[in-house]
Amino acid sequence: MSQNKVALVTGSANGIGKACALNLARSGLDLILVDVEKDTLHALCENITSEGFSATTISGDCRDTNVLDEVFNIAEQEFDGVDILVNNVGRSARELASAFVESRPETWVSVLEVSLITTLQITHRAVPKMMNKGWGRIINISSDAALVGDAGLADYAAAKSGLLGFTRVLARELALHDITVNAICPGAIRTRAHDHLDPSILERVKAEIPMNRVGEPEDVANLVTFLSSDKANYITGQTIAVNGGRHMT
Amino acid sequence: MAKRLTNRKILITGGGAGIGRECVNQCIDEGATVAVLDQDIDDLKGAIENNSLANSIVPIKVEISNSEQVAMGVEQAALKLKGLDGVVNSAGIDLFTSFDEMNWDDWNLILAVNLSGAMHVCYQALPYLSSSIHSSIVNISSGAGLLPIPDRVAYCASKAGLVMATKALALDLGNRSIRVNAVCPGAVDTGLFRRHLSDQGQVRNIAARYAMNRLGTVSEIAAAVIFLLSDEASLITGTALAVDGGRTFH
Repeated sequence: MSQNKVALVTGSANGIGKACALNLARSGLDLILVDVEKDTLHALCENITSEGFSATTISGDCRDTNVLDEVFNIAEQEFDGVDILVNNVGRSARELASAFVESRPETWVSVLEVSLITTLQITHRAVPKMMNKGWGRIINISSDAALVGDAGLADYAAAKSGLLGFTRVLARELALHDITVNAICPGAIRTRAHDHLDPSILERVKAEIPMNRVGEPEDVANLVTFLSSDKANYITGQTIAVNGGRHMT
Repeated sequence: MAKRLTNRKILITGGGAGIGRECVNQCIDEGATVAVLDQDIDDLKGAIENNSLANSIVPIKVEISNSEQVAMGVEQAALKLKGLDGVVNSAGIDLFTSFDEMNWDDWNLILAVNLSGAMHVCYQALPYLSSSIHSSIVNISSGAGLLPIPDRVAYCASKAGLVMATKALALDLGNRSIRVNAVCPGAVDTGLFRRHLSDQGQVRNIAARYAMNRLGTVSEIAAAVIFLLSDEASLITGTALAVDGGRTFH
């Protein structure tokens, strides 16, 4: 069994999750990666192993308890549990965005399930082992949608705000076990979704950002790696924005 | 691992002791050269002689509440370092007193050092920072600037002012790619802290305010400062990052 610490990154095939996986691997951690997109996840795993690092992948939906059983069976049997948990999985249903009064309850339920409940489910399974070991890192990827209140995304903002309250409670409950719990609120980050946007929309988004640029997934991954390290031993219960100053916390 | 501040020129106020001194040490470990503006630089000068750091540290004696000294000190720092890429405002003073027993001159002094002094350093450093492509300002505020603590009205107000000045400056300087952030430490185990609080019972009571039930170390605070100075934080501006073991939940 490897002596390296083990990081579990959910929703890790693309975008921010992928950048976190690469950054954490390069900092010397073993990885467990979960995503619904099997082929993309496999390609990422090959990329990581070609650099001489290690990753175990599980393709499946984090809402499925059978998938979570498989993730934590592997975590227990092939590793000594999860040391660092990056709860990145989430979905904004941006393609269905609408004024709340016109929105459909099925959409909210789905968004809350993917963007909030899965994090509670996964964290609930990961924490006991961290408590036994007396060390852990939990990093919840929220969104500046939770801070700004972007029109049309009531369900997503509710889910991502829920993560902030969850982060604070869990930080209090686990502090004496040397388990830190923090949330990151990325702003506009260049991901696949941007490829399909009209350039004028991106220009409008940039105009709201004091640094006048959208971020890269690596901008978020750098903070995840810092918070995962021993350098951030005393940072807990915090909500940290990575957004070029769009909304200041 | 590659050094994160190679060839960066960093000005650190209050770098003679405590958190500021640890920021100096970690900046140098990461490859930077540093100018220290502090009212007491004797100890630092001794350390420089003992560790052959004369090429890495420029100590400049400055009283931060004195505008003329700050203007001259920043200019001297930029001349000696040949520019500035970063500023860490760590100089600060504390005041424990009930509000009704506070000496009004002390209120003015706290504001003059913790808020006006820090912002005056930024003001004087701005022309130099504008010429750098890696500019980052880190203001050491306090958890007390986010969530109050007893008998510290002036201190809390000065540190809260510094948080908002940080955000407003971040907004104004964003399009010049100058990032401005605050680090908000909780109670940190420094020599100054121990001199004020020698009683172990008092120290335990203060530690109990924090979910981790302990004081922070200077190294833990400086690590956050280094992160914010470095390019790893290149999209982070206008934040107040609390490093406090769980009190402010900011």
